[in-house]
Amino acid sequence: MAMAKLKSAGAFLAGISLLLGGACGNPQGGGPSQSVTKGGTLTLAIWQEPSSLLYPFYSNQTVANLTSELAIEGLVRIAPDGSYQPVLIKDNPTQQNGDVKISSDGSKMDVTYHLIPNLKWADGAPFTSADVQFTWKVFVTDPKIVSRAGYDSISSVDTPDDLTAVVHYKEIFSPYLGRFLQVLPKHALASISDISKSDFARMPFGTGPFKFTENQSGDHITAVKNPNYRVPGKPNLDRIIFRVVPSREAAIAQLEAHEVDAMWNLLESQQPTIKKHTDLTLSRVAGPSVERLEFNLAKPGNPADPSVPHPVLGDPAVREALLLATPKQRIIDKLLNGLATPGNSPLSIGVFAPKDLKQASYDPARAKQLLDQAGWVPGADGIRSKGGVRAHLSISTTTGDKIREEVEVVLVDEFKGIGIELEVKNYPSSVLLGSWSGGSPRNRGNYDITMYASSPDPDPHTTLVSRYTTSGIPTTANNGVGFNYSRFSSSQVDQDLADAGHTLDVPRRQKDYADALKVLNDSYIAVWIYNRSALDAFSAKVGGWKPNGWDNLTWDTQDWFLSKS
Amino acid sequence: MSAPTDVAAGLPAALPPPDAQEWEVGASDSLWRLTLRRFLAHRLAVISLLVLALIVLAVLAGPLLSPYDPNKPELDDIFLGPSPAHPFGTDSVGRDLLTRVLYGGRISLLVGTLAVTVAIGLGVLVGAVSGFLGGVVDVVLMRFVDVMLSFPRLFLLILASVFLRDTLPSVLIIILVLGTLSWMGVARLVRGSFLSLREREFIEAAKAAGTRNRHLVLRHLLPNAMAPIIVAATLGVATAIISESTLSFLGLGIQPPTPSWGNMLKDAETDMMDAPWVAVFPGLAIFLVVVAINFVGDGLRDALDPRHVQRRRE
Amino acid sequence: MVLFAGRRVLQALPLLLGVTFVAFLMINAVPGGPLSAYENNPGITPQDIQRLQHTLGLDQPIWIRYLQWLRHFLTGDWGYSYAAHRPVLTMIGERIGNTLLLMGTVYVITLLIAIPIGLFTAVRQYSRADYGVTFLAFAGLSMPTFWLGLLLIIVFGLGLGIFPLGGMSTPGASFDLFDRLHHLVLPVATLSLVGVAHYTRYLRASTLEVLTQDYIRTARAKGLAEEVVLLRHAFRNAALPLVTVAALDLPELFAGALVTEQIFGWPGMGRLFWDSATRSDYPVLMGIVTVSATMIIAANLLADLVHAWLDPRVRPH
Repeated sequence: MAMAKLKSAGAFLAGISLLLGGACGNPQGGGPSQSVTKGGTLTLAIWQEPSSLLYPFYSNQTVANLTSELAIEGLVRIAPDGSYQPVLIKDNPTQQNGDVKISSDGSKMDVTYHLIPNLKWADGAPFTSADVQFTWKVFVTDPKIVSRAGYDSISSVDTPDDLTAVVHYKEIFSPYLGRFLQVLPKHALASISDISKSDFARMPFGTGPFKFTENQSGDHITAVKNPNYRVPGKPNLDRIIFRVVPSREAAIAQLEAHEVDAMWNLLESQQPTIKKHTDLTLSRVAGPSVERLEFNLAKPGNPADPSVPHPVLGDPAVREALLLATPKQRIIDKLLNGLATPGNSPLSIGVFAPKDLKQASYDPARAKQLLDQAGWVPGADGIRSKGGVRAHLSISTTTGDKIREEVEVVLVDEFKGIGIELEVKNYPSSVLLGSWSGGSPRNRGNYDITMYASSPDPDPHTTLVSRYTTSGIPTTANNGVGFNYSRFSSSQVDQDLADAGHTLDVPRRQKDYADALKVLNDSYIAVWIYNRSALDAFSAKVGGWKPNGWDNLTWDTQDWFLSKS
Repeated sequence: MSAPTDVAAGLPAALPPPDAQEWEVGASDSLWRLTLRRFLAHRLAVISLLVLALIVLAVLAGPLLSPYDPNKPELDDIFLGPSPAHPFGTDSVGRDLLTRVLYGGRISLLVGTLAVTVAIGLGVLVGAVSGFLGGVVDVVLMRFVDVMLSFPRLFLLILASVFLRDTLPSVLIIILVLGTLSWMGVARLVRGSFLSLREREFIEAAKAAGTRNRHLVLRHLLPNAMAPIIVAATLGVATAIISESTLSFLGLGIQPPTPSWGNMLKDAETDMMDAPWVAVFPGLAIFLVVVAINFVGDGLRDALDPRHVQRRRE
Repeated sequence: MVLFAGRRVLQALPLLLGVTFVAFLMINAVPGGPLSAYENNPGITPQDIQRLQHTLGLDQPIWIRYLQWLRHFLTGDWGYSYAAHRPVLTMIGERIGNTLLLMGTVYVITLLIAIPIGLFTAVRQYSRADYGVTFLAFAGLSMPTFWLGLLLIIVFGLGLGIFPLGGMSTPGASFDLFDRLHHLVLPVATLSLVGVAHYTRYLRASTLEVLTQDYIRTARAKGLAEEVVLLRHAFRNAALPLVTVAALDLPELFAGALVTEQIFGWPGMGRLFWDSATRSDYPVLMGIVTVSATMIIAANLLADLVHAWLDPRVRPH
């Protein structure tokens, strides 16, 4: 996927971070109000095992990210409000402060990072600009790197002195601030030919509050306090042990039995178990993930031809009726214990989330009326048809996801109520979410309705372009590139998103996105069912944590502590 | 433990070979009566057969009597405990659990019996061909059996179900997977009895009399190898039901919303702490049926293998 | 005897080759593939996927990949995990000890409990005690393992709080034998219950068979004490098929018990297989299947040899 490229030069590279302020993050106090205590070992249950601790270099798993974050820091990090915060640099490079320079012809840009002096790696070696350069080199030369996106837009990294790194981009690259979220120590890795196979990949250290000392496959991973951490007196804890458990259920049980002090990622339906215990706390924060039903507007095929409309879903009245027959609030209240909010667009939080955009709420009577008006006539069994086409649709989601399966049960019942027959046809996630060449029904357009969640980055431009513009429709011609699974095409959306890509003027981008998203909603290409929250749980004796919807629960482990009780 | 602990090892291969009885045509009437009498002497087996009959009846007729639709959610009735209105309670979307256990029973029993039918069919075919023809055919077929038996069974089940999983309805996949991976024991069994029967006098006599091969196999060899096959088949149904639940637990079994006892248990995993009944009843159903089948199998073994009973008379 | 053994070993080699080939085909036929986890991520470009495919050698035809795997395998190079980038041999090595500990304990405990019970129920066939034990044995056989395991966790772990809920050791503690045994209790109990049930039934049947034989009658007729008859004559002969069955169960010591390991978070081979299967980690899967198949074939061989050794009638001339 081509990353967003800003074609025209001009005074648009305003620092996103400055303007992203004020995004909602639903921050909630973490842990008890006791005073901070030092020392102790905290055990955190994870129900997946990270395949590598060098995220995102050799793994793109969330769990790899949340473990590796303890040790590996970046030049910046994402704050709870979705803005980029300087970590190892003095300030974010922006055009205003002169650290971002556009070439005179407007085709390239240079980004200058000023490192904070006297920073050390966990082993005591100095942190310098050579490490920044090395990190880029690893990204673009190591064949096992999972994704080079963004780093392959860099032509070179200069190191005029130990504290200055100048990154030369081959093109205008607007999400530049999101690069170098992780940096690697050159002195430890330069002589290793295959880093992915090295011990460092299993027990890395960096500039973060902890460093890894033990990694027992299938059992636990241990990180101990980094003695050279840049903040004096931090971290509070001596040690964090990640305990690899087989399932969320096992994690909760171990939390209840105090075998672990915290757990990563639980389901909404598991909240009552946590609530039963006064000594457990649920951490809940709105995240960017939006669960949706996406409609295939093209006639299903393998691959689908986007120019041939879907026999049933091709009718906007049917799509609107399906929206009106989806009881979002009841799903949230009854199946998710009220721990989500009804969705209105694919952007739920952040500065670019449209504030005034709403999707119509549950109204099956109106749905039936719409279908009647559109000529869909109920048959003897109550299922409608029109011109010999029966209103029969299939819904596909990932197998083994209990909440999604429950939502399907509700939808089958509700849709039947308005005369539309829904058949469940789920696929394993590796198939449904797989690739064009792997025959994924979603990529190939071989489905009617699909249900899944997606989380855009703080800067949603790439996601929106790849999902909703005409060029994002996967076809044989473009080798299946793109994420526009609905096969939706609107010249206005194309235009709005192109406009947004040519400016960094945030209010203007906000308007462009809002306009585009309104077209999506008016075309009923999807039902935004609910906005998910990130749910984690802590024992009440753990203090100092703060939720961060844009990052993982481990983003601030230096502040965590165990109160003595 | 020979039942590999997790998924029991398919159809038992290690049954004692058929012995002494020569169930020749004509003599069979009294032999069956004798067998029946021996079976009836096994009290637990008889009780189990009755229990099994009751369960099958309930599963077939019950859903017709239930006022609930097994797939209709009632979001206001989530996790109701057992009560007169819902004797087994309701599940995470408010469906009546009793109705679902009955419907699930249809699926689980269907999967169990059909999988065994497939396994027995394949096993008898391969075993008969191998045992009757002998020679190169026998060597090739038995080496193939060896290869199949050299995989850990659960690994094979997992790989096969993953491989097939989006090609067919999951009920069919599970039947095929369980059936096509459980025939090896039966094949060895049938081959073994054919080999030993081939040498017996009455077969020699039939051969000498010019009996045609098909007739020989169907009328003389197969009936005489029946006893262990019947026992293996009975116990195989129990194994298949457990295997289905294990595959469901791993997410590879019958896919929702079609209920099976296995996937109901899988579903219950998240909720069993707060609503134990969602786990108790499907679990109990599996337990009852499998215990009953095992007893019936045991009774059949005793009945079909008279040596066990002799001892009792001493 | 040596000749017999040698011939059987030679026969086993092509069998093993066949198993690895069939396994390779099956593993590669599974839809999705090792890179499917990346394909849904807008941050990972098709160029990235293509490059990774090439790096892992996945762009080659399957038979070439099989031959390459075989060639490397024969020279002791089992390859590297696609996901963890670690040598397959190391990964299996880490797990096989844990699995041996779990399954070995189960094996020993199972036999220690099952043998006396099996003998007892045979001698007292159709007694009240026989019915009781038979019922318990069938009850043990009739529960899905995961169900039994979860039950034990809920009752003894969460409810009574006597045993840890999972894992192999208390996190953060240094090695401690008692701690290890403490963690072993529930998974061993889960697996042993099924095992005991199975062996008890088996031994009961084979003892019953032996008890009807003429030499037992003769021994009894000679006025030997019943204990002597049972232990010296009956058990020794009844144990013969048991040895075979026990030998055939040996491979499980290495293959592990996937479901039990999964439920109790035991870091053994079964879980490694499952984790690798869910992410199509071909090299690891091939390693595990080959190890398990070798063990199964070897156990069959062993069973045959023991059988031949104990019972000269089956020994070929």
